[in-house]
Amino acid sequence: MSQDLATTAEGIEQAVTAFVSKRVGADVPADQDLFESGLVSSLFAMELVVHLEQAFSVQILGDDLKRDNFRSVQAMTALVLRLNGAEQPADA
Amino acid sequence: MPELPADAREFVDDLVGDRAAEWDLAGLIPDDVLRSLATRGLLCAEVPQASGGLGVSSAANGEFTAYVGSRCSSLRSVMTSQGMAAWTIQRLGNPQQHAEYLPKLAGGQLAAVAFSEPAAGSDLSAMTTTIEPDGDAVVVRGQKVWTTAAHYADMIVVVGRYGSGAAAVVVPASAPGVTVTRVPRPSGCRAAGHADVRLDDVRLPASAVLGGGQPLMLLVTTALAYGRLSVAWGCVGILRACLDAARHHARARQQFGRPLAQHQLVGRHLANLLTGEQIATRMCEHASRCWDSGSPDMVVASVLAKQVSAVQAAQGAAAAVQVLGSAAAHEGHAVERAYRDAKLMELIEGSTEICQLILSDHAVSMTAR
Repeated sequence: MSQDLATTAEGIEQAVTAFVSKRVGADVPADQDLFESGLVSSLFAMELVVHLEQAFSVQILGDDLKRDNFRSVQAMTALVLRLNGAEQPADA
Repeated sequence: MPELPADAREFVDDLVGDRAAEWDLAGLIPDDVLRSLATRGLLCAEVPQASGGLGVSSAANGEFTAYVGSRCSSLRSVMTSQGMAAWTIQRLGNPQQHAEYLPKLAGGQLAAVAFSEPAAGSDLSAMTTTIEPDGDAVVVRGQKVWTTAAHYADMIVVVGRYGSGAAAVVVPASAPGVTVTRVPRPSGCRAAGHADVRLDDVRLPASAVLGGGQPLMLLVTTALAYGRLSVAWGCVGILRACLDAARHHARARQQFGRPLAQHQLVGRHLANLLTGEQIATRMCEHASRCWDSGSPDMVVASVLAKQVSAVQAAQGAAAAVQVLGSAAAHEGHAVERAYRDAKLMELIEGSTEICQLILSDHAVSMTAR
């Protein structure tokens, strides 16, 4: 993952879309609700957490683990952007 | 990454010696044994150095966990609980909570994690324990059962319902309203301090709440991920102890004019034990590599490692009992303990059947490879 990709909203959204689509074996629109569509189990939700942390060098702790942050590719993109912008990992 | 202290295994050997059978029969590990391991940070060796821990890799801690497990599964089980408590705090806690709790866990205090309830075992989504905000405080109410290491614990990480989601809360065992009652004579890991924990209107500062509002099953999956891999490595230890006992006995014991090992039906048991130990080791090594590289596969790999290792340990221990015959057929013998302990490993941190359900879900949802 290049630094460019990891710092722009577009780059993050593309990378997250690619990961999710590959994992579920289908094209996933950025605004699709992953939980309502039944695409995401608890196991996959945790995979998403670990993937975002690794791919974008962020730490997702405490309150940031709430479901809304992982509801869609858009929500995850916003989370990564916010954590990347912060000096410290978000306080819970 | 930092290494474990070079004398860590020797330290365990000195502490455990030949006393594991005695602890099993008494159902207790002496407090000084647990404290001296905890004080050195060895019960949760993956806690980062920045938080006062040893900061070793999952692979290194896994091999160490197997080593402890080969000596005493009860002690290894306490280690699993301590590590899982630390991991849950690390994962769900904020930086202030890391600073508050992790140095204590790496520096001598003991911890347990409470999930199961009378009506919520395999179906943890049925748990009814509540963590309710009340001004600057929270009130915890509920009944937890079979909490490993709770008898020894200074702090108990309790998972419960919080608002529309879930949270974990760090409960001092000494807090008013907490009652810890040992499970009388458990069938396996008898000295691991299994206990039921009653929480009657336990009032704590809100700062004791880890996370809050996460979906319950995400929280449970997160906390259990560490526990599963730790149990899996513990099962590798059980298999190593059984293989060792079986091969020594099969070389030394003569029947029908030759060593047992030269009887083919006994030889098959030895081959199966070696195979089981190797399969379990490889699964655990893979899962630990996933943890150490931050791979999302760590979640599934940990379930797989737990599933495979617990089944192999139960089969391997049964084979070892068969090879040793009357030599191991008395309470407290390493192989007899392994037989009871391994079976318990098929029940906890997700029974074999629950792990199979998780893996079948994964098989259905994964893409073609």
